[in-house]
Amino acid sequence: MPPVHRSVVYDWLRHDKKFPHVWCPGCGLGILLGSLLRSLVESGLDKNQVVLVSGIGCSGRLPVYVDVNSVHTTHGRALTFATGIKLAKPELTVITVMGDGDATAIGGNHLIHAARRNLDITAIIVNNQTYGMTGGQYSPTTPLGAKATTAPYGHIEPSFDISALSATAGASFVARSTVYHITQLDQLLGQAIAKPGFGVVEVLSPCHTNFGRQNRLGSQVDMMKEFKRKGMRVERWRELPEGKRAENIPLGVLVDRDLPVFGQSYQRICDTAGKRGEAGK
Amino acid sequence: MSGKAAQPKPAQKGESKVSFFPAWCKRCGNCVAFCPRGALKRDQWGYPVLADSDRCTSCGLCEMLCPDFALSVGEGGLKPAGAGAPRGSRVAPITSPERLAPEPNGGEEDGNG
Ligand SMILES: Cc1ncc(C[n+]2csc(CCOP(=O)(O)OP(=O)(O)O)c2C)c(N)n1
Ligand code: SF4
Ligand code: SF4
Ligand code: SF4
Ligand SMILES: [Mg+2]
Repeated sequence: MPPVHRSVVYDWLRHDKKFPHVWCPGCGLGILLGSLLRSLVESGLDKNQVVLVSGIGCSGRLPVYVDVNSVHTTHGRALTFATGIKLAKPELTVITVMGDGDATAIGGNHLIHAARRNLDITAIIVNNQTYGMTGGQYSPTTPLGAKATTAPYGHIEPSFDISALSATAGASFVARSTVYHITQLDQLLGQAIAKPGFGVVEVLSPCHTNFGRQNRLGSQVDMMKEFKRKGMRVERWRELPEGKRAENIPLGVLVDRDLPVFGQSYQRICDTAGKRGEAGK
Repeated sequence: MSGKAAQPKPAQKGESKVSFFPAWCKRCGNCVAFCPRGALKRDQWGYPVLADSDRCTSCGLCEMLCPDFALSVGEGGLKPAGAGAPRGSRVAPITSPERLAPEPNGGEEDGNG
């Protein structure tokens, strides 16, 4: 039996939106949507406590379908809106949903600084290795050599590793999973939401319509079977000899550490400044 | 259906363990491809059916890997959404799968991103 009954999940869908949703048949975003809803329900949060913030892109549409406070902002800026919301209302659980282009191209600067500050925000980054919504242009996560609308002869740039980037920049929690590894994904989203500080969950998801078609990767089923074949628990992956690592994708909790959380430090400053102000009167 | 919603009952022996909501199904094939027991098949139009109920262990994987909330495992029905349904919502006060799906072209769809 699934951990959370489907009827509860339906309850968290925003019913004044049109269903079925806009995503292509088989798109991993729908699977992630279900996973996020189950994780929110399992976390015991009230709908009113949760804010979902997104930018623009196929991934950016996800919060639109959830019956919580949701803010659909501009391309690349989800984290800037989320920062304002979290600092103004620290009691809220703030979660951003961004695409790889959204989070690491136009919004890349916001990502590294949100991680560096260790803001108490959960960032779900959907990595489909392309600009899905606009037709399959290359993004910073498009692999070297892969085809894209803007790289018809194969991509000549190396790619970002979203998880490594977030970890290096200072996030206190970093995890990676795929929409195939669904029970793991449910768990990791729950863990990231519970963890104080900046929590990144990189979710590998097939865009068979654009990335898959241009690179002859078959249907989304074929692409998900690749996730199954290559995905490996990070603990096992670390045991592999150097030469074998690149063929496999490490999944699970990559980083989990306690670091000062920006909101708490900020509150202390406010309290100190307030007391000094009082004393001076 | 009208009036009071019937509470979902656990599937009885011989009753289907998986319920399908064709109105939301995009015939992507995930459920059929990833059922670990091979219990699902596509019908002639490509919609999934539980071809072999005895093989189904109610593991829930098909439900979790369906991107479109178009099938559900276990207790056949859905819980009545009446109480929680927002005003003006297109969701009928009780929820059978077909009723939950809005009318064609119903629901709001904003254009960009
Ligand atoms: C400021 C701005 N620049 C460019 C665009 C066009 N645009 C829309 S979505 C998108 C990229 C989408 O890629 P990604 O963030 O990876 O999301 P996906 O669609 O792949 O989920 C771009 C460039 C825009 N909407 N706004
Ligand atoms: S274009 Fe790609 S990412 Fe967008 S809905 Fe289709 S499959 Fe999903
Ligand atoms: S519940 Fe599990 S065994 Fe039954 S049809 Fe779905 S995936 Fe197959
Ligand atoms: S996974 Fe869902 S949408 Fe896809 S064929 Fe099965 S029921 Fe239909
Ligand atoms: Mg993308």
